[in-house]
Amino acid sequence: MQQFDPTVITHNLPQIASGFGITLGTWVAGVAIGVAVGFLISIVQLVGPRWLRAILRAYIELLRGTPFLLQLFLLYYGGPSLGITLGPLTAGTLGLGIYASAYFAEIFRTGFRSIPPGHVEAAACLGLTRWQTIVRIQVPQMLVLIAPALTNMVIVLSKETAVLSIVTVPELTFVLTAIGSATFAFVETLLALSVCYLVLVELASRAGMWAESRVARFLA
Amino acid sequence: MFDTDTFLQGFPLLLHSATATIGVSLAGLFIGFFIAVAVCCARLSGRRWARMLGGAYVFFFRGVPMLVQLLLVYYLLPFIDINVPPIVAAISTAALCTASYIAEILRGGFLSIPPGQIEAARMLGLSSFDTLRRIQVPMAFRMTLPSLVNEMVLLTKASSLISVVGVAELTRTAQNIAASTYRPLEAYLAAALIYFVICGLLALFAHRVEHRMQRG
Amino acid sequence: MNSVAASSSASTDRALIEVRGLRKAYGETEVLRGIDLQIAKSEVVCVIGPSGSGKSTLLRCMAALETYDQGDVLIEGELLGYVERGGKRARATPGEINRVRRNVGMVFQQFNLWPHMTALGNVMEALLRTRGLPGGQARTRAMAMLETVGLAHKADAYPAKLSGGQQQRVAIARALAMEPHIMLFDEPTSALDPELVGEVLQVMRQLAHDGMTMAVVTHEMGFAAQVADKVVFIDQGRIAAQGRPDEVFHDAQQPRLRQFLQNYLDRNAFWSRGAQERPA
Repeated sequence: MQQFDPTVITHNLPQIASGFGITLGTWVAGVAIGVAVGFLISIVQLVGPRWLRAILRAYIELLRGTPFLLQLFLLYYGGPSLGITLGPLTAGTLGLGIYASAYFAEIFRTGFRSIPPGHVEAAACLGLTRWQTIVRIQVPQMLVLIAPALTNMVIVLSKETAVLSIVTVPELTFVLTAIGSATFAFVETLLALSVCYLVLVELASRAGMWAESRVARFLA
Repeated sequence: MFDTDTFLQGFPLLLHSATATIGVSLAGLFIGFFIAVAVCCARLSGRRWARMLGGAYVFFFRGVPMLVQLLLVYYLLPFIDINVPPIVAAISTAALCTASYIAEILRGGFLSIPPGQIEAARMLGLSSFDTLRRIQVPMAFRMTLPSLVNEMVLLTKASSLISVVGVAELTRTAQNIAASTYRPLEAYLAAALIYFVICGLLALFAHRVEHRMQRG
Repeated sequence: MNSVAASSSASTDRALIEVRGLRKAYGETEVLRGIDLQIAKSEVVCVIGPSGSGKSTLLRCMAALETYDQGDVLIEGELLGYVERGGKRARATPGEINRVRRNVGMVFQQFNLWPHMTALGNVMEALLRTRGLPGGQARTRAMAMLETVGLAHKADAYPAKLSGGQQQRVAIARALAMEPHIMLFDEPTSALDPELVGEVLQVMRQLAHDGMTMAVVTHEMGFAAQVADKVVFIDQGRIAAQGRPDEVFHDAQQPRLRQFLQNYLDRNAFWSRGAQERPA
């Protein structure tokens, strides 16, 4: 067995750092897209017409009922057949965002449903319009209720970025496995890879717990 | 545009490989369950070293992406002279990974067992192991069954990753079809449809189970 | 009443349970402040007292379901919960505790039947695991026990389908199947609807008649008055009064005991004085 050689890591730091940057970038972008689109979907499901709600329901079920990898393949490899040709990074980020949007939409929907109906009725009795009720009463409450589910999903997405490596997005997993294959230093690279993710997930967890504690004061 | 023929012709092959997907997921879940019971006991143990070990296990397997875990098992085992066929690596990873999630699910179940149930077992002289085997695990299992079925759904979707190590499951077969017919869209859509049906059936099952539990 | 007499002839038999100077505290709060109690063979002891007096804690210490801080609990002469090595006391291992209390059976307020097993399954389980009996023997013995409590016809029913009284009777059968020398009852009827209490007390009465040594924490004063050989009144962690039922109930001297009994009478003797005291 070879000697443990940490220089494999140290010699390739620029590349690894770039990979880590891509991981972070796709993660943040994916979360942003997912939250934005998911939130919009949940609002439409609250007030939209029936036919639109049905379409969105199908959208959510399809995205949640199929593997993320397959969705990436469809977008990146299957896209051209539909005239959509995207580079790996764009496809990867978009794919992550779309995947995430379905899960976030569900989380927001559950959040809205957890608000006691009495609160909405009270708002109506006090003369608030539909939009005012949504913006001032439902959304704030919903955000507080779903904070744990939100932070959990964000952490899940950080790990899903690893899947992007399979469609050649040069994020952390891609970079380190490439180095490993080139130098046969599998132990060092995979170990470094694991440590990176553990640190990332732990930091994200801590941030999530802090965020939850900040909103906890609003919970009755 | 969309080649319906390729789409339909892929199905027999894809359905065949779907059995590998389901098989790996089931095997992973089954083995993972036993690992999970052990990890859960460690987490709830009175001994600090056991709690730390269990905590470390859960920390690792929930912190590292499953893809990386797969690569670890696949590439590192040969280093310690264990050469395993890809499917064994796949099932092992699935088991180890899902065990960390099931352990947390079971932990909730274990903690909601009324202490009196355990006291009754103690008074009747049941050993710790028998209490675990005959009282705690059956009760926790029944209580957490909907979450466990949900975990099965997640595992089925995650199993698409094992295509990376060359196991001839659903995603890999779709890749092969895409490569040989130059029609990736049709191949992957067909595979997606099959995944969707499998997960849908599992979700229905979960629903039924939850219903039965609420009645009983 | 028991055919084997109460305290006087206990000197010829070694006390099955002996509690000496028992003390226990939960953090700052002292729950048991020095309990001395002896239960002789075939004696039925009823422990009564207000909530929080420590009576359940006492029983649970006798079952090693709680640890105690000072004093001794002896089951058939053996120290329970601790081992003494060279004058020093150490916590006993679960194995040692099991050994010392192997002849003690317990019935709980919440029945604690295992919900995923039938009545028969519940009764058989310990016979199979602890005693290691083969299946056929375990089944026969279990059915006989269910017969004793009058529930043989419910052998295949799950606890969820049984009434509270039936569940408790199965629980008693489950404990009896292990052929204990001592039976502990922790408020066995407190969780039952009033009309179901009688069937459980009947089983316990029969058990006492057949010579079982019993310690019963209860609020059922009628049972205590009719079946007990000794009634022990615990208040604020101490035994405030003990004696034969007629001594404790009718000749109560202790003011706290009188207050406790008066409280009880006020709540339960609904058919006598109220009508007379209502203004015309």
